[in-house]
Amino acid sequence: MTAIMDGPEATKVSDVIVCRDVHKWYGDFEALKGVNLTVEAGEVVVILGPSGSGKSTFIRCMNRLEEHQEGRIIIDGIELTHDVRNISEIRREVGMVFQQFNLFPHLTVMDNITLAPINVRKWSRDRAEELAMKWLTRVGIPEQADKYPGQLSGGQQQRVAIARALTMQPKILLFDEPTSALDPEMISEVLDVMRDLAKAGYTIVAVTHEMGFAREVAQRIIFMDGGQIVEINSPDDFFNNPTHERTKLFLSQILNH
Amino acid sequence: MASISTTTNKPPVQKRGTFSKRFNATYFLQDNITGSRGQLIWVIILTILTLGVLVQQLGNAPSRAWIIFGIWAVGVIGTVVGELFTLHIGATRWLKENMFNNVTNVLVTLLLALLLGIVCSGLWRWGVVNATFSPELTHPDVRTFDGASWGVLWGARKLLLTGLLGPEHNSRVIGWTLTILALWLMSFIGTRDSTRETTAGTFIRRVANTGWILSPFISYIFLAGLDYEAPFVDFRTLIVGTAIVTAIMGILWFFKVIQLNPVSTAAWVLAWPLSYLLWRTIAYVSFNAEIFSPIDPDKWGGLLLTVIFAIFVNILSFPIGILLALGRRADVQGIPWWLLWPVAILLTAWGLYTSTFGNCIGTPSFLCENVNLWATSRNGIERVISLWPLLIPLATWSFLRSFNGNFLQAFSVLFIEIIRGVPLITLLFMAIIMAPFFLPEDSQGLSNFWAVIVGYTIFTSSYMAELVRGGLQAIPNGQYEAADALGINTLQKYRFIILPQALRILIPPLAGAVIGTFKSSSLVALVGMIDLVGSTKAIIANSQWLGLRTELYVFMFVLYFLVSSVVSWYSRRLEDQSGLGVR
Repeated sequence: MTAIMDGPEATKVSDVIVCRDVHKWYGDFEALKGVNLTVEAGEVVVILGPSGSGKSTFIRCMNRLEEHQEGRIIIDGIELTHDVRNISEIRREVGMVFQQFNLFPHLTVMDNITLAPINVRKWSRDRAEELAMKWLTRVGIPEQADKYPGQLSGGQQQRVAIARALTMQPKILLFDEPTSALDPEMISEVLDVMRDLAKAGYTIVAVTHEMGFAREVAQRIIFMDGGQIVEINSPDDFFNNPTHERTKLFLSQILNH
Repeated sequence: MASISTTTNKPPVQKRGTFSKRFNATYFLQDNITGSRGQLIWVIILTILTLGVLVQQLGNAPSRAWIIFGIWAVGVIGTVVGELFTLHIGATRWLKENMFNNVTNVLVTLLLALLLGIVCSGLWRWGVVNATFSPELTHPDVRTFDGASWGVLWGARKLLLTGLLGPEHNSRVIGWTLTILALWLMSFIGTRDSTRETTAGTFIRRVANTGWILSPFISYIFLAGLDYEAPFVDFRTLIVGTAIVTAIMGILWFFKVIQLNPVSTAAWVLAWPLSYLLWRTIAYVSFNAEIFSPIDPDKWGGLLLTVIFAIFVNILSFPIGILLALGRRADVQGIPWWLLWPVAILLTAWGLYTSTFGNCIGTPSFLCENVNLWATSRNGIERVISLWPLLIPLATWSFLRSFNGNFLQAFSVLFIEIIRGVPLITLLFMAIIMAPFFLPEDSQGLSNFWAVIVGYTIFTSSYMAELVRGGLQAIPNGQYEAADALGINTLQKYRFIILPQALRILIPPLAGAVIGTFKSSSLVALVGMIDLVGSTKAIIANSQWLGLRTELYVFMFVLYFLVSSVVSWYSRRLEDQSGLGVR
């Protein structure tokens, strides 16, 4: 199985995520075996793959929640290195939404959202709260601002998490299985928000198991297995004419149950 | 338990340990007596024991035993009646739930009541009936010997409260006590549910919090006083202090623990000079107005010293413990081997050259004793010891192997583990005896008080560190990741997200640690400090109060118990209040 290469051609200015030959080891286990990916500004990319294929590891490498040991990752023109200044600069521009929401349980929804803008972007509280309210309205829960996360449903918590990421005004959004921990009837409210964001022109990299969402929203679908990218394709071709045997097997397993 | 009286058409669902309106003898026996062979034997033994004590007491002290038995019997009858006819009133329901909820507990209640009667009657006779309360009646010549002489507490109040401190300082001790009580009161008012959300409540809370942070300094000014010697500013202290603070900041910055901007850099650099100048100004003013003349800390004693230990040690060791815990978990870039090994090899060679083989050529005289350890060694063991510089590569190797050159982690782990492996009393003796070794030769030495404070703080902070580490580990990884993903820096992450959650989890164990520190401070009596225990020993040895140990130890018991209860009550209150955000 060979990894599909994007090729070493020069990157364009519009390429906001550039990953070149990224390797990642957990001890002796190689989780990423030379991954190459370029994402343009405004593009929506969905990463699919069986569990253990390295897709979460890959997306977490993009904001240095995991450290890659080899290869280069350049986000918005800044390379991720050991330099803490680069890391914090990149994290400011990259918002992330987690599977388990990871809201801060001891802070109200409003404080959850405004903590980073006030302390990282150095905004005034008024400005942060104004923008936070705007985003809470956009994700449909402005009335929950003064509650604590534990008082909200899972879908509402995930929408707060999205609002928290967006209030930092990131250029890139990473979604790490944002609907996997939700009850079925709450999945759609989160997917609606994500669809809305994709239409609004955000650069999105999403790991998800929502095939409908991937088919409808993604501009490219990346299929990973065993720490490598197996196939990169448009949604239509990916679902209808997959080129790779592994992809066909994967699709037959998830679509025929 | 309130649902017992509501019966339906269905057959009663019998829960273990509860009665039902439809009393079922089979279930009752199964639940209480015949459930298992062990239970049967247990109930039989308990019955025999209780009956034995009852019969014995009815013979020995009939009136008391009959009263206890009577009250118990009324309680049991009331409970049974209330249970069978659903006629429970508040008292019988309480009795059913707390005293008589099964046969075993019915028996245990009677047994314990009888035993308590024996203990309390003796205490009552000694402490109240036969006791004297006048300080004049405490002398061995006039004393009563079958009762307590409580007068000693009043007669020896000075030693008990402040030890050897002269009476001219009473006003300052009272002033300090009032200040601490005022802080406590403000904290209490500021955190009441009815006031905590109001502006005034917030203000009071802020004042109190600031006061608590400053309380070691306030206490120092009140109790130790301020000595003033010209010149107003000692430039050596000023520069060395600034250099140390700046160096710490630089190291933290280098290891990427903190990030710096012009404002924070200026704040760090100016922190020492500003506090130093403030300190000197206060000292100058107080010296000229003769408000807080210096008191030798070794004069403090009694309850005062015990309380000072508790406050100082707890307030000092808490932040140190947090830092040690953070250090132990610090994931910083280690010192690389290519930097460490050359230094280690050079040091080893230098040690072998100068110390083992006694060559001082080229080394400054104060660094070299000019003793050839190898040549002067008299046997094999000394010869091996003379090769001590070879330990340097060994230490370097194990440091790199165990900690990957992570200096912060190595320091914290070694500090915590070594200190936790030493008994407190050993540490206190070491603090007093060995403190002079660590001080410059020309200094006047550390007073015993400060030596003990240092030793005790080191001890407590290593325990606090492990508590805090437990709290930090209890925070889910997702919280760290969410903070990281938002671009929040390490300090802010701990300040706003991790520590608030961790400390809330830590309230019960921390309260335990505070109480433990307070009580264990009685050990300082063994190293010659006259704290509450020490002054009690001194009072007992005094010819006027010779042998009045029981009264004093009872007093001590009550005092320690009261303070510990207040702390644990306060921690429960704190816990209840801090749970607000978590549903």
